[in-house]
Amino acid sequence: MDLGMTVLIVDDFATMRRIVKGVLKDLGFKNIIEAENGKAALSELKKEEVGLVISDWNMPEMTGIELLKAVRAQDQFKSLPFIMVTAEGQKDNVLEAVKAGVTNYVVKPFTPETLKQKLEAAFKQ
Amino acid sequence: MEQLEKIGKALEIVALESVDLEAENIPAMGKIINALSTILDEGKELLPSIFLTLTGTLQSYVERMSLGEEKDPSPVKEAISCLQTMLRAIERGDEIKENDAEKICHILGGNSEHTLDEPEDKEIKGAEDLKTGSNPEQLSEEDIELLQDFVSEALDSLSTIEVCLVDLEHNPDDAEIINSIFRPFHTIKGVSGFLNLQKINKLAHCSENLLDKARSGEIRIDDHITDLILESVDQLKQLIETVQDNMDTGGPLEGDIDCGDLIHRIQETVARSNEIAKKPLGEILVADGAVSKEEVDQALEEQRRKPEKKVGEVLLEKGAVKPRAVASALRKQKKYGGGQGAELHVKVDTKKLDTLVDMTGELVIAQSMLRQNEAIVSSVNQKLFQTMSQLNQITSTLQKAAMSMRMVPIRHTFQKMVRLVRDLARNSGKEVQLRMSGEDTEIDRNVVDELYEPMVHMVRNAVDHGIEPPNERIELGKPPEGTVELRAYHQSGNIVIEIKDDGRGLDKKRILEKAKEKNLIDDETSLTDSEIYNLIFQPGFSTAKKITDISGRGVGMDVVKKGIEKLRGRVEIDSRPGQGSTFVIHLPLTLAIIDGMVVRVGGERFIVPTLSILESLKPDKDKYTSVHGRGELIKVRDRLVPLVRFENVFDISTDSKDPWEGLVVAVEHDGKQFCLLVDEVIGKEEVVIKSLGSSIMQVKGLAGGAILGDGRVALILDMGGISDLASIAA
Repeated sequence: MDLGMTVLIVDDFATMRRIVKGVLKDLGFKNIIEAENGKAALSELKKEEVGLVISDWNMPEMTGIELLKAVRAQDQFKSLPFIMVTAEGQKDNVLEAVKAGVTNYVVKPFTPETLKQKLEAAFKQ
Repeated sequence: MEQLEKIGKALEIVALESVDLEAENIPAMGKIINALSTILDEGKELLPSIFLTLTGTLQSYVERMSLGEEKDPSPVKEAISCLQTMLRAIERGDEIKENDAEKICHILGGNSEHTLDEPEDKEIKGAEDLKTGSNPEQLSEEDIELLQDFVSEALDSLSTIEVCLVDLEHNPDDAEIINSIFRPFHTIKGVSGFLNLQKINKLAHCSENLLDKARSGEIRIDDHITDLILESVDQLKQLIETVQDNMDTGGPLEGDIDCGDLIHRIQETVARSNEIAKKPLGEILVADGAVSKEEVDQALEEQRRKPEKKVGEVLLEKGAVKPRAVASALRKQKKYGGGQGAELHVKVDTKKLDTLVDMTGELVIAQSMLRQNEAIVSSVNQKLFQTMSQLNQITSTLQKAAMSMRMVPIRHTFQKMVRLVRDLARNSGKEVQLRMSGEDTEIDRNVVDELYEPMVHMVRNAVDHGIEPPNERIELGKPPEGTVELRAYHQSGNIVIEIKDDGRGLDKKRILEKAKEKNLIDDETSLTDSEIYNLIFQPGFSTAKKITDISGRGVGMDVVKKGIEKLRGRVEIDSRPGQGSTFVIHLPLTLAIIDGMVVRVGGERFIVPTLSILESLKPDKDKYTSVHGRGELIKVRDRLVPLVRFENVFDISTDSKDPWEGLVVAVEHDGKQFCLLVDEVIGKEEVVIKSLGSSIMQVKGLAGGAILGDGRVALILDMGGISDLASIAA
């Protein structure tokens, strides 16, 4: 796992982005950028060379699953590590994301340890 | 065979991906699930049922693996090799061994009862790891910042819910509105879980469940549901505000607010909806008013003859119900009607902005001092003048930019009224519609906060006293639904806010009676309409026949007036009996700058706020009268207006002793008019208001100080204070 890579956090709630960012910083990531919905994330992806996307599910404008599908539809992002953050209990969401090619998912609220495991697992593939 | 080939290829993908399948290889699982779906689709009619059963069982096993419910990948490999063997047998036309397949099906089917539903556990674990226990003493700076962010963001998003809810009452089936209400609850739930705010988490969680039912169509939004959601919004706000308070004081973060009852009621409603969901379709349709009872009965009759059909189908065929054409159209709208790109925002402490505005103000002053400096004025250097005018432009642009940073649209304050009007109308059994225009009008951040309370009072009054009950309105030939209108717009450097209702209007007779009763006026006083209306701003004045819990305690309107005057604004009333009243609030755009007229009094300069100036005039001798006991009066446009001399108010006297020598400035404050005798009007200037400092802050008659363009200091006059000092009667 290259800690110098750019990580894109996608969430409409700023506090949530901050929490995820804090966890990532604790894990040693240095380059973290943010977007507040799927649409904004897509334009960030065009601008920056992103090595990992961590996205929330439920967002206005463009949801996490819509973003995932849009990302996977582009050849250069076929294997871009994409981690979906979902609320507990929403199995259908997880399955939909799995089918759409998510790299891994993490259930809210998660611990830094859990996110770290998920990230490591994501980069093993 | 083409289909068999496709199935073979899909199975190859499955086999390939299963090679390094382990618990966390989600992408591989995704590919396997998708490939298995292809096999199920393609082989539906072609393959023996045992093959399909095994494929289906395998698919759900991998699905469970991806959910973390199953860990062991070895049954998957077994199943795949069994499928491969079977497929080869099918291709050759051989017999297949069903026994093996059944055995593997059995192994795959035995799912352990793990679910993702373990919120309680995880919440606590997550919180501990983030070191945000509920004990505020342990809060690190980082945590406090996070909490602060959460508080402001959560409160923000809760207030959007209120507006959406009112929309939802009008379109209870609009999925997008439900979703936009659902989202904040969902997010608050998620974040509060991290921050270990358990009450907030629980309440948001059960409200979210309720909304989720509504979203999936299991619950129909009605008054009861919206009331519950609003209650939940209120309680969440309370909880979040408590968090905010206790962050500083250090009690338990969420205080001792008990939301158990509300949570219980919400859960009950959710539980009841589960029962409803099991009710026959026909009954629900009747309850919704989509079809009549007779139609359902007929359909049921028909269904008895053709038992393979469902009631819904029968009804649809008969054309008794419309399929959710509206709902699907709305969904499409959501897909295609994306909004514009998100603007980027940075959150800045208001104190920093205030400093910026203050400093820019100073810069403007310093710049104009420089411009008026002798050395520069007398200079003939062309280049210096060019640089000066460039500097001038830059500073004024900078000042505008700094000011605009503190400006926010009034939308937020207006939207808070939506909820208020709705609650008031519901409580008083009236039908009231709230219309708004000019929500984008920008206003100083500091003004917005102060404006909220006066507006609440006025809107309350409009609904409670203004709008008549529906039956009364019908008798009067008005539509049963009353209208309260909020309007905001800019007018000559001021922001104007109108609160207009189409109710019964102010009752002049009652106001006069009441004023006499309270000894505010005597029998002889003759008053203009606007003076009569202004009486309602007197402390302790209330004409409501019946005191309601909403308004009518007589503490309203004087608070309104004080609140608005504190903002250096004024209120006007226009009212027509039977047609309604309009309250017009004029406010300065910002509190930091005042548009003033600089006047000279003796050797001193004062600034008179332009907002209060009616006109300046040099009266003829015959326009001046002095009445014993009532002081000096000047006739201004056929009205006798009291004259105020500075020597009676402050210890300063004008050079000119008689009004026809000097100049009088006619001003109005709070409906009272009076004239100020001054020596000279020097000019109009926009000045940055400076506080006089704590030691001389409370000087009556002065609103503050300002540095004039030439670098000299002038005091800003407060008309209210002066009129009190000169004891001018209304």
